[in-house]
Amino acid sequence: MSLAGRRIAITGVSTVWGAELARLLERDPEVEYVAGIDAHPPALELERTDFIEADIRSNLLSRLLPATRVDTVVHCGILWYPEPGRPARALHEINVIGTLQLLAACERTESLRQVVVRGSAAIYGCEAASPFFFTEDLARGARLRTRFQRDISELEDYFENFARRHPELACCMLRYQPEIGADLETPLVRYLSLPVVPVQMGFDPRLQLLHADDATAAIAAAVRRQVRGPVNVGPGGSISLSRTLRLCGRPSVPIPQPLFEPIVQRLGRQLGAGGLLGDGVRMLRYGRGVEITRLREEVGFEPRYDAVAAVRDLATKLAGRRVGPGLDLGALAGRLTGIGR
Amino acid sequence: MSGEPTGHSGGAEAVADFIHQVKLGIEAGLDPMTAAQSAAESLPRKLREALEAVVLRLQGEYHEDEWGFDEQFAEAVFPLFEFLYDVWWRVEAIGAANVPAHGRALLVPNHAGSLFPFDATMVTTAIMKRHALPRWPRFMVLDWAFALPFVSAFMRRCGGVPASPHNATRLLEQEQLVTVFPEGVKGTGKPFSERYRLQRFGRGGFVEIALRTGAPIVPVAVVGSEEIYPKIGESETLARLLGAPFVPITPTFPWLGALGLVPLPSRWRIEFCEPIDLSEHPPEAADDRRLVFDVAERVRETIQTRLYENLVARGSTFT
Repeated sequence: MSLAGRRIAITGVSTVWGAELARLLERDPEVEYVAGIDAHPPALELERTDFIEADIRSNLLSRLLPATRVDTVVHCGILWYPEPGRPARALHEINVIGTLQLLAACERTESLRQVVVRGSAAIYGCEAASPFFFTEDLARGARLRTRFQRDISELEDYFENFARRHPELACCMLRYQPEIGADLETPLVRYLSLPVVPVQMGFDPRLQLLHADDATAAIAAAVRRQVRGPVNVGPGGSISLSRTLRLCGRPSVPIPQPLFEPIVQRLGRQLGAGGLLGDGVRMLRYGRGVEITRLREEVGFEPRYDAVAAVRDLATKLAGRRVGPGLDLGALAGRLTGIGR
Repeated sequence: MSGEPTGHSGGAEAVADFIHQVKLGIEAGLDPMTAAQSAAESLPRKLREALEAVVLRLQGEYHEDEWGFDEQFAEAVFPLFEFLYDVWWRVEAIGAANVPAHGRALLVPNHAGSLFPFDATMVTTAIMKRHALPRWPRFMVLDWAFALPFVSAFMRRCGGVPASPHNATRLLEQEQLVTVFPEGVKGTGKPFSERYRLQRFGRGGFVEIALRTGAPIVPVAVVGSEEIYPKIGESETLARLLGAPFVPITPTFPWLGALGLVPLPSRWRIEFCEPIDLSEHPPEAADDRRLVFDVAERVRETIQTRLYENLVARGSTFT
């Protein structure tokens, strides 16, 4: 199915990813109507997106959504990190209760054909011994260790139930790996742009960081193709944290693992890299990789940036805005010898 | 292996020579930056290449595959493996030509020698040194080791991955050479008195993987790894404390502290047996329990027989 004549509602337009998707879809002349739902105004200037001010946790949505006569709902309102005005304890409410209310509203919208949720690969967890590339069927039986992971697992359960009760709807759960982009205000990006980056001593995780452009394009591709079930979204390949930091020209400081979380929390408050809670800390110890065969073959989407290219792009963009002289060994050695960058 | 000057040995020499040249340059009245650059240019080609590799590495410009295997790193630590292979354990490798030079294949050795997967590294070294077309095998490592700091990062860069059927299958589908130890902890953790007696081969999971991917199985008999840490007992308290599957007590460990971790210099023999071709069976044959157990038993018997033969051929243990 193409986008011609589609009426699409997007939740969570106050987040960058929700707003980016709204912008991408409203610029497509074939799309008939785009609605943006959130309690806060959109993160970006939007032209023809109809902004509907509603908290997805309230049952107001059950009256507002059917009136829009949309055929597709894209749920971008799942939050990964606490933000100003959205403390950690509100995340559970927004993520789990919000999704429940949204699904209830979907049940009353008779025009609906498709529901896409922008979820998280955090459901797989980060374990020392986990497979290096998770396939979609491995989410069952993952050990639930962090609050966020439990929330994601809970809302996936609800969503799966909902999909089973409504076989007429194409229900797709996208499991996103963390996104990076120079303009993204996420704790992970802020962590990678610290002048000196603390790492967990003796650990060098494999990471898959998704380029922000691919993140938006992937969800648009999922709206176009009506895929059912869970789909992993990540870049191809993987990159180690140590190489990531070297490419970004950021020196690292190894910190004994038990001290890592408190130090990052404290640094976070001062430098803005806070909010790297449980899940983020575990990812920076053991890493996580996902298999993206379903994304490639069933959604028909090939990420433009693989894991290394996404980091290179971030490095180029961060290099322009470094404050003060860095402690970059690679650049120093390069300048002394005239080799490389 | 290519003879390219990469990594540590060439690198250290290059850096020392480079610093010397810079010093001479500054004494001759050049400013440090110019002195450094002219020093870099005047180095002999080989040293300059080594220096280049070091600098590019610092800048993150090196290759790592999606499994985190870092060939440059593996080549840099290879001399250490070679020392253990040639000098410490005087390994004799037989039948390296039985390892397929191309395409997927599953290496199945017996597992012994607790603590560290030395047998995996020696199998790797034997292939890199004795095979006509060497390639780095990927090896399955006990889950627990991947939770350890330093050890996990080291093994991953050398080609280790956590033991999981998903990893093994995916690696084989990418036409890699994969080493699995079906005995697992049962093999490494057995007491010295049971040396060279093969343990149960799990539930034959490695055969299922081989059938599903159509990879041939190469049984490997490793003699010598049993004597490097003769386990005479084990400490349950220590194991629980460390979260380890077991902590062995040997004649030297923990009595001599860290020194007790030095493996004994037994003499080793590694024999690669003829590959067992399973391509006549369709992938669905992996669900046939009887076939799986039959093949597993055949592999086990082959290794057991070759173990005894090589044990006799080796003669005395340490000399």
